[in-house]
Amino acid sequence: MTETPPLSRRGVIAGATGLALAAAIPRARAAARTINIGYFVETKPTMIAKAQGWFEGAAKAKINWVEMGSGAQINAGMVGGSLDMGIGIGSSPAAAGLSQGIPYKVVAMLDNIGPAEEMTVRASEHITQPSDFIGKKIATPFGSTSHFRLIGFLKTNHLSLSQVTVLDLPPEQIVAAWKRGDIDAAYVWSPAKAELLADGGAVYKTYDKLDAEGYVIADLFVARNAFAHANPEAVAGILGAYGRALDMYKTQPDQAAAIVGKAAGVSAAVAAANLAEYDFVPLKTQLTAQWLGTPGHPGAFAAELEHTAQFLVGQKSIRKARPLTAYQKGIDTSYLEKAVA
Amino acid sequence: MRRLLDRRPWIVTLLSITAVIAAWAIATETGAVSDLLLPTPGELWSGAADLVVNGYKGYSLGAHIGLSLMRVAVGFGIGTIIGTLLGLLMGMSPTIDALAAPYIEFLRPLPQLAYLVLLIIWFGIGETPKIVLLFLAALPVSAVAARDGVRNVSPQRVQAAQSLGASRLQIFRHVVLPSALGEIFIGARLSIGIVYATLIAAEMIAGASGIGWLILDAGRFLRSDYVIAGILLIAAMGMGLDRGLLLAQRRIVHWAGK
Repeated sequence: MTETPPLSRRGVIAGATGLALAAAIPRARAAARTINIGYFVETKPTMIAKAQGWFEGAAKAKINWVEMGSGAQINAGMVGGSLDMGIGIGSSPAAAGLSQGIPYKVVAMLDNIGPAEEMTVRASEHITQPSDFIGKKIATPFGSTSHFRLIGFLKTNHLSLSQVTVLDLPPEQIVAAWKRGDIDAAYVWSPAKAELLADGGAVYKTYDKLDAEGYVIADLFVARNAFAHANPEAVAGILGAYGRALDMYKTQPDQAAAIVGKAAGVSAAVAAANLAEYDFVPLKTQLTAQWLGTPGHPGAFAAELEHTAQFLVGQKSIRKARPLTAYQKGIDTSYLEKAVA
Repeated sequence: MRRLLDRRPWIVTLLSITAVIAAWAIATETGAVSDLLLPTPGELWSGAADLVVNGYKGYSLGAHIGLSLMRVAVGFGIGTIIGTLLGLLMGMSPTIDALAAPYIEFLRPLPQLAYLVLLIIWFGIGETPKIVLLFLAALPVSAVAARDGVRNVSPQRVQAAQSLGASRLQIFRHVVLPSALGEIFIGARLSIGIVYATLIAAEMIAGASGIGWLILDAGRFLRSDYVIAGILLIAAMGMGLDRGLLLAQRRIVHWAGK
């Protein structure tokens, strides 16, 4: 997941209220009787662990679930100390947060987004190569991982923002604009993406080339430093509970889809289709050099965060990126190691 | 001293502003408040300077301001003119009042965000839905103000004009309209406030331009320097608009309150 959750209402004034939130909410107490977790209602295995109460059981604590409208809101909640963990924050807002010195760490990956967020074009426009996008209108939710990918696509194909109109729309408004014929293409995730495909849309594949060029996008678990230091078992427990949900999704996909669908308010069939689009990297695989690495041996994902941060600087979204080591330190795999042990 | 301050209130204003800026500088420069929550005065200054020099995401700062003002001017202008005309008619004729009142009363307390998505479905994602949103914000306020202005005209004055043989049109032009103008202007100032507050919602629609969008977009990444620079700018623009209306009111309705 990314800037905005696919199923819940859009986080309307995400940014502006985000700042207000950061300033207004009093700091949570250090010792956690109750863990405050920011999350998205989405069709992912996390919803199994949440629905079955596995997170609470493994963390041995009460969890106060706070539904988020965007990754920016998770960042804001972390600054103010009102959130202890964030589940499903996109790599773009997480890279922004780490660059800005928000006191949290990436503790695990929820998924590698891969083809789940992809360009959809209107089939009748006959868009088959990058130059066909000249003069077209493409919508994406700004600040999201999809936005990052889209700008990456334009950049790597030498298309400038004066040749292509990029519009900032949240997913449900993308669907509305598409139905009216106001936009020619959109970079977004399901269910919005599925609706466009069902309504005269066609997939224009960009993700494989972009992944190879350093535009990997992912959804992440983050934990606030002070909370994680004081409650390492709880953090590891929560990651372990997610591992259990992933196992269930692997072994009993139908049952998993039914639970996810019920929790997210969609049919089991829709949930199964959405689940199938994501690459849920097993926790053990995350602890390899290709992804997060292990404590002391940072993996390749830190470089993706650095690249994302540099991109955000170019977009004027953040003031400055930090050196690679800062993002390597921004990933703490010790809890994940404990969770799979 | 006391008397000096009483006679020169701007000194108090100046002192108050200086004290707030000093407190802000001390809190941020010493690191007591993280720069994620509040930028230092220096950071705010360089952020604002960067906006002035380089613009923001594809548009110069002047273009952002110009687009926002254009939206406000068109939405407020059309909304206030139509609203005022409608309100005058409603005040003069109980039938028209009975006809239009339910819609005005329905629209007036409605939060604009409630029908934001509908406007996109109906009017697309260009300038039209943004301006319609501002129009709908301005319309009911000015209609109610004009109607109440007409209703509050003292019956004696109308009767006096009638007894002198004035026609309905003459009564409207020479008695009702001048008496109601004061309230019409109060309504216009109220309505520009509401239109202005709606600007951010309007620029949420497929934005990529305007001061309201700039603030929203910068807030997504906790760019508090841009956000605060944008807030100061939008506040200054709002005060300017309100002052402008006040000035027009004093010129046109110079007899009001005398």
